[in-house]
Amino acid sequence: MTVMKTSVRNFLAHKGRMALSAIAVLLSVAFVCGTLVFTDTMTATFDKLFGSTASDVTISAKKVDDAQETGRPDTVPASLQQTLVKVPGVVSSYPDVTSDKVTVADARTNKSISPSTGAPTIVSNWDPTETKAVELSTGHTPRGPTDAVIDADTAKKHHLKIGDSLRVIAAPGDFHVTISGIVTFKTTNPGAAVIYVETSTAQAKLLGDTKAYTGYGLTAAKGVSDDRLKADVTAAIGSKYTVDTAAETKKKDKDDVGSFLNFMKYAMLGFAGISVLVGIFLIVNTFSMLVAQRTREIGLMRALGSSRRQINRSVLVEAVLLGITGSVLGIGGGIGLAIGLMKLMGKAGMKLDTSELTIKATTPVVGLAIGVVVTVISAYIPARRAGKISPMAALRDAGTPADGRAGKIRATIGVLICAVGAVALIGAGKSDKASSGGGLLGLGVLFSLVGFVIVGPLLAGVIVRAVSAVVLRFFGPMGRLAERNALRNPRRTGATASALMIGLALVAGMSVVGSSMVASADDQLDKSVGADFILQPDGGQPLTPALVSAIKSAQHIEHFTEYAGVNAKVTLPDGKTVTKQFSAVTPTYADDLRLKTVKGKLTDAYAPNGMSVNEGYAKDHHIKIGDELPVAMVGGTPTKLRVNVITSDDTTVDHGAWYTNLATAKKYLPADKQPLDQIMFAKAESGKAKEAGASLTAAVKDYPQLKVRDQSDFKDLIHKQVNQLLYMIYGLLGLAIIVAILGVVNTLALSVVERTREIGLMRAIGTSRRQLRRMIRLESVVIALFGALVGLGLGLGWGTTGQRVLASQGLGVLEIPWPTIIAVFIGSAVVGLLAALLPAFRAGRMNVLNAIATD
Amino acid sequence: MTKAYGVGETRVLALDAVDVDIARGRFTAIMGPSGSGKSTLMHCLAGLDTVSEGRIWIGDTEITGLKDKKLTQLRRDKIGFIFQSFNLLPTLNAAENITLPMDIAGRKVDRDWFDRVVETVGLAGRLKHRPTQLSGGQQQRVAVARALAARPEIIFGDEPTGNLDSRAGAEVLGFLRRSVDELGQTIVMVTHDPVAASYADRVLYLADGRIVDEMLNPTADSVLERMKSFDGRGRTS
Repeated sequence: MTVMKTSVRNFLAHKGRMALSAIAVLLSVAFVCGTLVFTDTMTATFDKLFGSTASDVTISAKKVDDAQETGRPDTVPASLQQTLVKVPGVVSSYPDVTSDKVTVADARTNKSISPSTGAPTIVSNWDPTETKAVELSTGHTPRGPTDAVIDADTAKKHHLKIGDSLRVIAAPGDFHVTISGIVTFKTTNPGAAVIYVETSTAQAKLLGDTKAYTGYGLTAAKGVSDDRLKADVTAAIGSKYTVDTAAETKKKDKDDVGSFLNFMKYAMLGFAGISVLVGIFLIVNTFSMLVAQRTREIGLMRALGSSRRQINRSVLVEAVLLGITGSVLGIGGGIGLAIGLMKLMGKAGMKLDTSELTIKATTPVVGLAIGVVVTVISAYIPARRAGKISPMAALRDAGTPADGRAGKIRATIGVLICAVGAVALIGAGKSDKASSGGGLLGLGVLFSLVGFVIVGPLLAGVIVRAVSAVVLRFFGPMGRLAERNALRNPRRTGATASALMIGLALVAGMSVVGSSMVASADDQLDKSVGADFILQPDGGQPLTPALVSAIKSAQHIEHFTEYAGVNAKVTLPDGKTVTKQFSAVTPTYADDLRLKTVKGKLTDAYAPNGMSVNEGYAKDHHIKIGDELPVAMVGGTPTKLRVNVITSDDTTVDHGAWYTNLATAKKYLPADKQPLDQIMFAKAESGKAKEAGASLTAAVKDYPQLKVRDQSDFKDLIHKQVNQLLYMIYGLLGLAIIVAILGVVNTLALSVVERTREIGLMRAIGTSRRQLRRMIRLESVVIALFGALVGLGLGLGWGTTGQRVLASQGLGVLEIPWPTIIAVFIGSAVVGLLAALLPAFRAGRMNVLNAIATD
Repeated sequence: MTKAYGVGETRVLALDAVDVDIARGRFTAIMGPSGSGKSTLMHCLAGLDTVSEGRIWIGDTEITGLKDKKLTQLRRDKIGFIFQSFNLLPTLNAAENITLPMDIAGRKVDRDWFDRVVETVGLAGRLKHRPTQLSGGQQQRVAVARALAARPEIIFGDEPTGNLDSRAGAEVLGFLRRSVDELGQTIVMVTHDPVAASYADRVLYLADGRIVDEMLNPTADSVLERMKSFDGRGRTS
């Protein structure tokens, strides 16, 4: 009990010194809990939405796996209605016509009103069952062929009101509708733009077929279960169609978004894990320093008869208290973080209602468990060290107990692990297969990181001296003192810098891979792309036939190339049948993308009944030039295609693509399975690039989903996409770096307390406050630069190895983003300065007399 | 000068209208029982602490009313310190500790003077040692050397031999004495050890914040004698 009391008192007495550790725990736990609350809320929102839209039993066309993009949804015959209404237990049967393969534009401005968030634009037929999910707020439901009802969020966002005209761009053609009413979702609609039209309009304009629907929604009679109804319906219409109960529909809808949500959740938790890891360093340092400062006190307790275990436990109890405090605050912080994130998403166009905040019971439990377990694990080593303090310590002169030099065993182990890491990285760089290289890379990253953390204290000696020799010698005696202070406890300096190292190494590694990606793509575009214009609609929508003919009306064009995706079952020479996507193109593609081939002439890949296979796949499955492979395109007539070309894998654009001739593909597919172009290329007549561009832009001006891009625009697009991804990663790593900076503040603040007497002495013999502050700041800068140097070095190694591993996958150009690296390095020095602000201020304010008082 | 803590009823006078002159080039000891205010007197004289009333000059400079910046400069340039313990920075070696005040001031070290001081205190072979590698006596000698090396106008010692055994103490006091005699240094030392006080030219006795007596050219026995008489008086009064 006494142990408990001492621990609690110690904890309270050192509140201030624990504060930064508590913040580190808080931030990490907040990150984890925030992620959980945010993704749970999103899941719950989608659950409610899908729950409100699902009919008791839904009938739809059997989903064909990997069917090509035709721009038209799969349909069921309209004649099925007669059979359905006769099934006992069916109260009502409403045909459904829904398509999300559309772009909707405000007819006045011709600006797209489709969401830019990746959420779908849905055009559907209005029927009474829709009122389960939405309610009409103004106007009336669709009565005539040009009436349309739009959801309130989209209307508000694009300032649309009743009477406004919309243009719907769908595969069968474009059509105009006029807004006749506005509906509000009963649950939260996270961002889809939804438009309802009359059933016959939907059939004609979306499906191009008035004798078909996309499905039926059935309502079951009272007392008839969904499962029962499903069984009866299946018996009546046979197994040609998919019949789902409400629960099954909901589950299918959920699975669609679920995988994305899960990906997001685990990616964010991964980053949260990194900040937890960084927080560990901070906590270890705090407890080490508290134990060091309390050496005499602990010695006294030992002398008075406390056992090692009691001392050990008392430190751990403090850790538990810290963990609980930090976690509880962190759970609150996490909820706040989730709300903030939802607001942020709201700004980006994704609507989430904070009133639907979902906090599962497991969230606080997970948060608390992480906080407490991490803190206790971190405090374990310092606690053990506290237990080992001999009673003699009470008698020794206090002073600052030296941590001693990092041991030889540590050095050996650290260097060994580093060596394993280095060997793995070199192996990864030399490996000619991306898959095995990737494994080695992961291993190398892990080992080199652990190795560097272990040898950190040893490196501190070398690197701090080197940095000091370059930077600190301009600062005279204060610089020298700062260097000595940074060196006096290598373990502490090492741990502080390691925390920073982790975040910065990841930043550097990512930036190398990112800029190599950009450089490689640029390089390839320069070398092998011959097309002048790249025509690809935003949001992954296909090019509708109307759009294709609009494009083809442009002047001064030497040739257009069409590019579509066609899925097919291919039987390989070894007898296995696989599903592959073919890039079906017109033969001019050979001029637009001058791919390297391993065997064969590139143009032959696009010849009628010809095809190509990529190098790696051909090698693995023993596919040779001249092989006639049985190919069954989805929904089409089986045929044989001749392998004319084996393409090189060394490409970023179209990596691993299999090609065939577009006309060939179309020949073997029925009219309703014709693929839509995904992308088009255009080459201007010689010397007429400018005119051609203007003509193209004019030709597609009615299609807001398409922007005409020349090569440099396309490069910009790639740069933007890569940078967006990088900034997002940097942002997520930001928290880990903030925790690391807190670690620097923490170390300095505790050091200042520890060096009270020294500082007093310095003040007494004439050190000015400014000089003292400068000394602390310089120490901080040296620690930060040490962390930055090792981190950036490590990151450069990782990034370079990553590029090597992916070199055969089209990442052929190594580009080290020196401006970023240098900016991070200079930024670290600035961070060092900022981290020292408070500790330096405190040191300057220290009372000289208290400090030198001979107690 | 007067130094008071607290206000009103709880006002405690640590120094009660003390008026003292320290002679240049002489060795002055301040003695008195615990709580007599001798440390406070020294702290105030050295500009480490402020007085409530009164004025203090060092040479021609009045230090009362100086801002922290000026005071720090004054301590740096004109005053040397030797404390009872914790005199040295553990991260610097002996030589670096000795030159620290000059380094802080950005002044060039006078090599001849430095060598002479080092020789005087007998540290020639130990300049590269860190404080932890030196004995207590050696550490205090480094502190003496540091105080002397900057050629301050005055050196203040706060029980400089308090933590040393008698032999090491005698050594340090001998150096202080010699620095006054040979180098013309001015030294003020707070002590409660009669033997230490006997090295001084003049002893001031402090009790209850007042100077109650003074003795010139003291010996250990005469100081002890005088102390006993104060103690006796203290008890009877």
